[in-house]
Amino acid sequence: MRLGTNKHKYHKIKHHWLRRQNLRFNLRFWRFTIFVLLIIGVSWWVIFLCREPEVKVKKTKDSRFQLFVEGRPYFIKGVCYNPAPVGEGYDYDLGLDKFEPWDLDGKLMREIGVNTVRLYRDSVNPSGLKKAIRVLYEKYGIRTALGHWLGFWEYPQPCYSSVEFRARIKKEVIDMVKTYKDEKGILCWILGNENNYSFSGRVNPWSCPEADKAEVSERANIRAKIYYSFVNEIAREIHKIDPEHPVVLGNGELGFLDVADKFSPDVDIVGVLMYRGKTFGNIFNGLKKMFDKPLVLIEFGADSYNSFKKAEDEGMQSFFLESQWKEIFKNSGFGKEGAGNCLGGFIFEWNDEWWKHNTDNPENWKVHDTEAGWSQGAYYLDNKAENNLNMNEEWFGIVSILKQKEGDLNKRLPRAAYHMLKKLWKNYPVK
Amino acid sequence: MAKKWIASLCLLLVLPLWVNAQEAKAAKKVEGKQFSVYSDKNSPDNHYIPSGWMGDYGDIKINDEFANSPHSGSSCIQFIYSAKKSNNQGWAGTYWQNPANNWGSKNGGFDLTGMTKLTFWARGAKGGEVVDKVIIGGIKGVYADSDEIEMGPIVLGSDWQQYTVNLSEKNLSYISGGFGWVMNADSNAEGAEFYFDDIKYEFDPAIKPEVKGAEKMPFYVYLDKGSVSNHYIPSGWMGDYGDIKIDIGSVEDPYMGNGCIKIAYSGKGAQGARWAGIYWQNPANNWGDKKGGYDLSNATRLTFWARGAKGGERIEEFKAGGLFGEYSDTDVAAVGPVILTKDWKQYTVDLKGKDFSSIIGGFCWATNVDVNPEGATFYLDEIRYE
Repeated sequence: MRLGTNKHKYHKIKHHWLRRQNLRFNLRFWRFTIFVLLIIGVSWWVIFLCREPEVKVKKTKDSRFQLFVEGRPYFIKGVCYNPAPVGEGYDYDLGLDKFEPWDLDGKLMREIGVNTVRLYRDSVNPSGLKKAIRVLYEKYGIRTALGHWLGFWEYPQPCYSSVEFRARIKKEVIDMVKTYKDEKGILCWILGNENNYSFSGRVNPWSCPEADKAEVSERANIRAKIYYSFVNEIAREIHKIDPEHPVVLGNGELGFLDVADKFSPDVDIVGVLMYRGKTFGNIFNGLKKMFDKPLVLIEFGADSYNSFKKAEDEGMQSFFLESQWKEIFKNSGFGKEGAGNCLGGFIFEWNDEWWKHNTDNPENWKVHDTEAGWSQGAYYLDNKAENNLNMNEEWFGIVSILKQKEGDLNKRLPRAAYHMLKKLWKNYPVK
Repeated sequence: MAKKWIASLCLLLVLPLWVNAQEAKAAKKVEGKQFSVYSDKNSPDNHYIPSGWMGDYGDIKINDEFANSPHSGSSCIQFIYSAKKSNNQGWAGTYWQNPANNWGSKNGGFDLTGMTKLTFWARGAKGGEVVDKVIIGGIKGVYADSDEIEMGPIVLGSDWQQYTVNLSEKNLSYISGGFGWVMNADSNAEGAEFYFDDIKYEFDPAIKPEVKGAEKMPFYVYLDKGSVSNHYIPSGWMGDYGDIKIDIGSVEDPYMGNGCIKIAYSGKGAQGARWAGIYWQNPANNWGDKKGGYDLSNATRLTFWARGAKGGERIEEFKAGGLFGEYSDTDVAAVGPVILTKDWKQYTVDLKGKDFSSIIGGFCWATNVDVNPEGATFYLDEIRYE
């Protein structure tokens, strides 16, 4: 009995002890678990708050600019992309194209190393355009720089000092950003194109009381100040809703960028259009002195129609493009010489567009015009043409399109420049 | 069979061309360390003939056996340039050619490979005569010279002086234009009498390739009519060029010196462009298709003085650089629009941060009829880089 009582006591004590141990363990376990979860939570927040945006420009110790996407270096090997079929015109909308040309083009682009396309505007059918952006990215690894004209081609002409106009355009841009910002393939936003050409009044002139009452010599600068302040306002707003993608200020050459330096501090990148034959001249160092932001050439190139010989001349186009790309890379942050401020460029353009010479006549959109529309002596191989008119708007593609169809699309015929770029780009250290 | 006939026919057609081309490349190779263009009248050492008269050729008289005080030997060559503009060109010149009167249509010339300089002696009758430039090579045509070398302007003294043209690393494999000179009426308004002697190519191992450095400042586009300090020529007329009249020696109240530039733009739209302008170029008519221009890296600004005849004339743009071609200007800078006042006023184009290391288009103005419906008359003076 005594023995039994003692045994019972022993078991009771043991049970009690085990229970206490168990409780102690549970307490420790939960304390530990909570501690770990707390650490993980805090770390996650710290990582989230401190992480870098998906697309970011970095400045190196020696003041060169480099673009990084998801932490990896990225050199823009881009093309302007508007695959208007033969017979369609200025109102072609990629998002509405039921034949989805981006699949065929994306494949051809990937073969030579194109990694970015520039779209000039969004679509009235966002789901169609999203699909294009997604397929280009997911299937071919090609990102998209999406632009907005900022009303430059509207009629009546834009007035950048008008409160109503500014509010409307700003809303359009912000809506565009909200619509597309979560698409994985987006690289950046491009605001405007060559809107600065309106400041002098020679292209799309606009009037505003501040400029009109000023001295003639001051008017252009006043318009510049108004316009670049407006762009800055939009850029700041974009950064609030989309910190992941940089904002590019589109500009015709370097005109008025000294004004932008004062009034557009929130843009991340300067995008310049330039058609100067085999060399960009002093643009890289010139920009450094005027507005020390990274540069991307958002439009440049050469046409493939020799107005002097009156024949297609693929070699001529290839010659100029090769020289241009060599300068672009030489002046990139990944190069060792040059200004080190160039992030890459977008060739104008991927494919020929048959509507560009006579834009108002739809009948003409079915014809591949060989008449030149303007003159530029820097393209000196055919500048001896009549009246020096040597620039053929409908022949800038590195891929020509034919009337003949393959499936639902006009047949694509890569030009010499396409093959040249394949060789050139594959040697670049940044893919 | 037909193919063979066609091939044979093509061969027959192409062969003479090919042979011709081979002949052009096979200019007479010059041996030795010296080769005379001219030494004395009737000298067997003379290899070129002063047969290529240019511009206002009626204004030139030549005496190739002028015996009064030659530099050496028995004679020298005397030129008298009257500056009467007999062909309305305002300039004249002479080429020594081989064979005579060969403007590139005949196979001739010499292969002067190995020569490193050309030397000549020259003097003026009074001193102060201005030779725009001397030229070696530069004959165009089917049998084009293999290179073109220029030196000038040269202000002659009244005593004999030797001049040297550096030919190191130039392509002298085919030279039919052995030597030439050019003079203009603006720089020699009263005409000029001058002499050449002992013109010869030489091999000099001490001669090194010429390194053209940045120009010293101030550097004039225009100082005064005929000044040797002028470096660019107002040859690039644009748009409605028929609407423009220019007088580069106007004495209507110049800002400084003997004269200024007067420009009258009628705004009539002679070519239908509705605008007009002039580029000052180097060399003349160079739209970027030739090598030329100056290294103006030392310049931080371009300044000039301007006034309107009435006041209120509007010039859309005054520009420096910006010519694009095979040899594009390295940069561009501009001011404008500018409303001119009746009184002289100085304007400045800022060049800080610009790359002006190679500039063919030294200065330019442009305006249009929309802002000058009645046309515009205006004056420019003292255009210079500083």
